[in-house]
Amino acid sequence: MRSSTHASGWLDVAVTTEAGPLAAPVRQPLVQRLLPHSFRRSPLAIIAVGIVIAWILLALGASVIAPYGPVNQDFVHRLAGPSASHLFGTDPLGRDILSRILFGARLSVPVGIAAVVLALVIGMVIGSVAGFFGGYVDEVIMRFTDLMLAFPTIILAMVITAALGAGIKNALIAIMIAWWPAYARLVRGLVLSTREREFVLVARAVGVSDARVLVRHVIPNIISPIVIMGTLDVGNAILTFASLSFLGLGATPDVAEWGSMISLGRTYFDQWWIGTFPGLAILSLVLAFNIVGDSLRDALDPRFRKL
Amino acid sequence: MNLTGFILRRLLYLVPMLIGITLLTFTLSHAVPADPVAANLGDQAASDPTIVAAFRHEWGLDKPLYQQYGIYLWRVIHGNLGVSISTRQPVSTDLRQRLPATIELAVAAMLISIIIGIPLGILSAARRDSAVDQSARVISLIGVSVPVFWLALVAILIFYARLGWAPAPGRLSASMETPPFHTGFIVIDGLLAGRMDVVKDALGHLVLPALVLSSYSVGVITRMTRGSMLEVLGEDFIRTARAKGVFERRVIVQHAARNSLIPVITIIGLSFGGLLSGAVITETVFSWPGLGLYAFSSATSLDFPAIMGVGIVVAVVYVLVNLLVDVAYALVDPRIRVA
Repeated sequence: MRSSTHASGWLDVAVTTEAGPLAAPVRQPLVQRLLPHSFRRSPLAIIAVGIVIAWILLALGASVIAPYGPVNQDFVHRLAGPSASHLFGTDPLGRDILSRILFGARLSVPVGIAAVVLALVIGMVIGSVAGFFGGYVDEVIMRFTDLMLAFPTIILAMVITAALGAGIKNALIAIMIAWWPAYARLVRGLVLSTREREFVLVARAVGVSDARVLVRHVIPNIISPIVIMGTLDVGNAILTFASLSFLGLGATPDVAEWGSMISLGRTYFDQWWIGTFPGLAILSLVLAFNIVGDSLRDALDPRFRKL
Repeated sequence: MNLTGFILRRLLYLVPMLIGITLLTFTLSHAVPADPVAANLGDQAASDPTIVAAFRHEWGLDKPLYQQYGIYLWRVIHGNLGVSISTRQPVSTDLRQRLPATIELAVAAMLISIIIGIPLGILSAARRDSAVDQSARVISLIGVSVPVFWLALVAILIFYARLGWAPAPGRLSASMETPPFHTGFIVIDGLLAGRMDVVKDALGHLVLPALVLSSYSVGVITRMTRGSMLEVLGEDFIRTARAKGVFERRVIVQHAARNSLIPVITIIGLSFGGLLSGAVITETVFSWPGLGLYAFSSATSLDFPAIMGVGIVVAVVYVLVNLLVDVAYALVDPRIRVA
């Protein structure tokens, strides 16, 4: 129940904002009532929202819920299979895998959010400058963005983390550098379409400065679709972070992190639980984010609505 | 303008693109605090100033940055990508050996994704909201959400370690002799050498990593085909066809599917970049000696010439794939004749 009220509340924001830059910046009650409905009708979407919330709660409550500490070693039960005392088994150092997964959420969820927020802020500044001022500035910035987008994310992130040194902070910086161009492009498109709208023209006509028009009039009108897209990308950010850790470029093996936990499983073919469970954790969280995103897109995209 | 002119013009795009890519990788790899000296010499050697100076001189690291870049660019134009610091081989030789392995993997994965993704997407749209549609949706969402490295690990655990259906990771069994190097594609080289046993063995090694790598693009292509089909199915000519009494199967296959392919082709081209990203990870898990594994090892050892070589190759592949996409457009849709 809780998840469904949460979902609709969240969506009301989403819907208004999606309509925002296209129509007048006033609320459209009809659209608002229709769309959340088609989202709410989808049981899959509701379950997905529930899973995301559940993971956030598990991350917050990890120290209470987890049966063991993330680095506690139980030497007697090294490499023990799933049992009543260790539900998901233990790793080569006798650490409880379930507990490490729970504490891993505490790392992955904030890292995913932080990576997206940082990339968004940079992308927003650069994209809005390009879209708002146009001309040369736009041309140069967008060509550079295209260049960055042409480069496979993981290779770019790999070079950056390798150069800066492995570590959680550097992996975060790498994802941020690799991701901002996509947001810059999105923001630029939205700014371009908002720039010519009446209320912006009016503001400029009465002599409001460029910077103020951009910050006070343009950005507030495009912020919502950007925030939604960013929210949905948190899942992908978590996935990228885990990939870097898996390659040994993110979290170090002593830290409870999903990617590096899976990496540990590579050397133990007979102890399948070491790598399997952390992977299921990533899959469930990322899948939930993507189901929410997909359902939202389906609900919001007028082309896919049933006639 | 004719097709040849169009292709030539598109190839010209490569020039600024390559300058940009080299500049980007060059800046990235030099503007960072890490020191290639420490990464490539042992601790003991790195503490000896004469060895360090000799190392820096040998690799041109003692010159000012703009000179290093100038020298590098001049050599690249002449086909010399420099010598890899870690393998001590010319980077172009390294790339020549490794690129075919990645292309082999990526093409196999792409074929799998097209064979699964397009029919599944069409079926999904034709039976909208049915059980088929719902399962296709879940399958494709799992495809884009699953961590490739985990899927690779689980696939190895199940099909190699448990069931013994798949061969050990790698491109060829240890007992097999690599066929003489012609194209670098083991399957093709094997055929050229008339060694069917090698071809069979190589294909056997290819199946599992290609399936794993295809997970993401299967998801993307299925979703895209479905969306594109739904859009086309809402158009007037579909209604007309149905009104004329054309069989539904024919409406779907002949009228709708063909018209919905254009955006799908774009996605196939675009997901090639994603495929390369995925290949990096897949290759490390499957010990596949391709570009990805090379990129990984050169990035971790701060092997600048190798990293930049990878960057250049990736950029060229990216531009060529996009070119192919545009040519494919013209073939699928006679309305689009290159302007």
